[in-house]
Amino acid sequence: MSIELAYFPYLSGILLSCVIGILIILFIPRERETLVKWVSLAFSGIALAFSIYVYCAYDRTLGGLQFVEKLPWVESLGINYFNGADGFNLPLILLTGIVHFTGVLTMWELRGRVKEFFAFAFVLVLGVFGFFMSMDLFFLFVWFDVSLFPMYPLIAIWGTTRKEYGALKLFLHVLAGSALVLPGIIYLAVASGLHTFDIVALMQPGALTPGQQKFAFFLFYIGFGILAGVWPFHTWSPIGHVAAPTSVSMIHAGVLMKVGAFGILRVAIFLCPLGWEYWAPVMAVLATIGILYGVFVGLTQTDLKYVVAFSSVSHMGIVGLGLSTVTAEGLNGAVFQMFAHGIMTALLFSSLGYIYDKTHTKLIPELGGMSRVMPVASGYFIVAALAGMGVPGFAGFWAEVTVFISALKVYPVLGTLAICALVLSALYMLRVVQKAFYGQRNERYAHLPDVSFSLGLPRMILVAAMVLFGLFPRLMLDLIQTAVIPFMGGLPR
Amino acid sequence: MNWLIFAPEIYFLAVAAIFLILSVMRPNSRRDFSMALFLAALGMVVTLSTIRLEGSLIHGAYRIDLFSQVFKGLLSLGFFLVVCLCSNLTGIREKQHPEFYLLLATCTLGMMLLVSSLELLTMYVALELASYSLYALVPLRSGGQQMEAGIKYFLTGIATSALMLFGLASLFAATQTTLISELAMKLPGLLTSPMAFIGLLLTLCGFFFKLALFPFHVWAPGVYQGAANQVTAFVATATKVTAVAMLIRLVSMSGGSTSLAHVLIALAIISMTYGNLVALVQKDFKRLLAYSAIAHAGYALLGVLSMNETGYAASVFYAGAYFSMTFICFLVAVKVASDGRNLAIVELAGLHRRSPLLAMALMVGVFSLGGIPPTIGFTGKFLVFTAAMQRGYFLLVLIAMINVVVSLYFYVQVVKAAFLMEPDEELPSIHLSAPATILTVVMMVVIVVSGIYPRYLFQLAAAAVRALH
Repeated sequence: MSIELAYFPYLSGILLSCVIGILIILFIPRERETLVKWVSLAFSGIALAFSIYVYCAYDRTLGGLQFVEKLPWVESLGINYFNGADGFNLPLILLTGIVHFTGVLTMWELRGRVKEFFAFAFVLVLGVFGFFMSMDLFFLFVWFDVSLFPMYPLIAIWGTTRKEYGALKLFLHVLAGSALVLPGIIYLAVASGLHTFDIVALMQPGALTPGQQKFAFFLFYIGFGILAGVWPFHTWSPIGHVAAPTSVSMIHAGVLMKVGAFGILRVAIFLCPLGWEYWAPVMAVLATIGILYGVFVGLTQTDLKYVVAFSSVSHMGIVGLGLSTVTAEGLNGAVFQMFAHGIMTALLFSSLGYIYDKTHTKLIPELGGMSRVMPVASGYFIVAALAGMGVPGFAGFWAEVTVFISALKVYPVLGTLAICALVLSALYMLRVVQKAFYGQRNERYAHLPDVSFSLGLPRMILVAAMVLFGLFPRLMLDLIQTAVIPFMGGLPR
Repeated sequence: MNWLIFAPEIYFLAVAAIFLILSVMRPNSRRDFSMALFLAALGMVVTLSTIRLEGSLIHGAYRIDLFSQVFKGLLSLGFFLVVCLCSNLTGIREKQHPEFYLLLATCTLGMMLLVSSLELLTMYVALELASYSLYALVPLRSGGQQMEAGIKYFLTGIATSALMLFGLASLFAATQTTLISELAMKLPGLLTSPMAFIGLLLTLCGFFFKLALFPFHVWAPGVYQGAANQVTAFVATATKVTAVAMLIRLVSMSGGSTSLAHVLIALAIISMTYGNLVALVQKDFKRLLAYSAIAHAGYALLGVLSMNETGYAASVFYAGAYFSMTFICFLVAVKVASDGRNLAIVELAGLHRRSPLLAMALMVGVFSLGGIPPTIGFTGKFLVFTAAMQRGYFLLVLIAMINVVVSLYFYVQVVKAAFLMEPDEELPSIHLSAPATILTVVMMVVIVVSGIYPRYLFQLAAAAVRALH
């Protein structure tokens, strides 16, 4: 086994900081809750620092796969430990770093079984990081499942509304998805005749016949689509979001659903481009239905968390629509939307979490006038809601505009429908803001304190990220472009 | 003749003799336990030191090669680990402790002879030595349904033996030989004749029974529940491993017959579906593991029925994986049910406070059984699925994967009991001795590390399979 490392393995560094974090947390006595939190913060901070560094240090003029780490793992089966960063996964690695770091800060006031909570959360994030950076199908799948199984204890132990039902439903749904992905992965490795799980090797044109690609694409699309919240496989997601504790909702809606969407991109689209072209109309229809469905169901919800959860279904539909256009702009927009939606949803759940912690309710009729009770906390939610509507100045605006322009070109009818849905989404977000944050003040909550500076910190970071990429979208769009252009250029037409 | 290559078998015969002597002396459970632990540890060393030896005894009827030695290593490890669980052997009357160890040793000896035998009659005799030890071990428990379990096990066992004898006779009639090396040459051409085919299939039945594969599973739930926890642990680990070894040996001898593969595919699908579906409604932990064992027999068969080298190696790996993850579940069961009773799943409630380590170990073991990475259970499944896919059995893999998801439901119920449910009355925390803690941690590390880094274990399995030819 030869190990050639010309540079510090930053990507493995991210994974390693999670692993070390887990190990240290396991050895801390369970009474030392504050120490557990500080250790979590420190190691999630290191992971964030590494991901920011990798994001900035990526050479955009060179493009391609950088920070490559490749070790032969099991040669006889063609398994490598193979990590790499490109324009597709860097935004998501950065997103994961930000959401986990802010998630730890958001849960600073957690009481009860703190040690287990942060350990499980670290396992989850380890899986997510690994999934995004892995270029080997075996490891990709391992990380995929590593990121899924902690969801069960995290929701079932620390969750709220119908937590055990929600946890089990989520767990079985997403693992049913992985039941399609695993045979698909093995099928690719065997059917290609290459007997390797290396994504780069499997990507070469001619490795798979068109028929094989169509078949495998379908498996991956359904398998990862369940996790991405593709309609009609989304039913686990609102229930799971609502049942989960705040930071788990953040990671879950913010990052984990992107794992599904990124799986469609990295495995299905990368390895089966012909299948992608073949199934694209179906994807577009399902995505548009998802957008519309999320908006209409969101309109009638009385539980704030359900509103946010259905907006996630709708926004993930936009990602799906972007992926289904089979154009460079569509891909670009989809990846940017994954990032933008991740930050935005994390902010929505994070600010909602504070309000729920104080008022112990998330029912819209019971709140009311919150902006006068806790102006700052409400401010965060309203900012996130505005971002969710696609107001210019936030990252989501650029992402949605890019997706819709390309969608209008390829699917005029579906694109128009999706844009109409977006107008309606403004309606339901404004309805929530108006009823819960303005209007008659509920005197029961009048005495509650507003969010303090330190507790507001995670929300500030999220707002800052949203505005930064909203004002300077090229910081990200150009990076994604470095991966999209060569990829689309290499497609067999 | 070089007797050194025969060392593990001679050693375990000596162990049996020592416990035979101890059984006529005054009972003393501490002495028996420390003696057994020492002898088991030494047995492991003896067996592992012979792992690279090769040779053949009795005119090719008995062969020592890497394949047999890997399995002997696993068996001696199984013997050692089960003895480790016996520090508090409350499920068995004290004056019968020496008999318990004696039968455990003879059973291990029988299985060791089995994995080395290359002749049908030797194989049958070795199998019966192992089986009769188990028939006696099961009803050894004090109080409960052990008699029912013992009789059920015995009756189904001898019925299968009869089937197997008939199969052996047919094989001999078809080929005029009992040596496996000659069978392997003659059989591939003869498998189209009904006599040879049915003969082979009935011979396999004897090992289907040990593996608790459908339709030979009927004994499993009763025996798992009725036998003492330690005996069940041995039945669930060591005998399964041996059964997989023998299936590999016999199936590889048939030279890749399609009709045989079809029969095995049908059995594998029925076995895993049936096991998983019935396990969904179980309330008793050991009974749940019995049904999960029926399902896992199906998964293990996937590698065997692929009939290629990857498949056999995957099955060897799977057997080792199943061995470690089942053992850790029984370790938890034995420690929680310290008075030797049967453990209901609800009795696991509050385990995360009573013993965080055991709760964690249970989660690792159960998720490994459920095939969630990064555990050895996942890697095992991944390997057998890859082997089956290489033969083009896509639907079979898909059915197996759907089964895995179904099985997660009841595995999660166990995790839920340990981590979420609170007991009705406050139970004292479970104190683990230092060696028990180390054993638990080591098992967890083995399951996770060899799950994420299976390279050397898989190489060993592949090398063992190459020694078959």
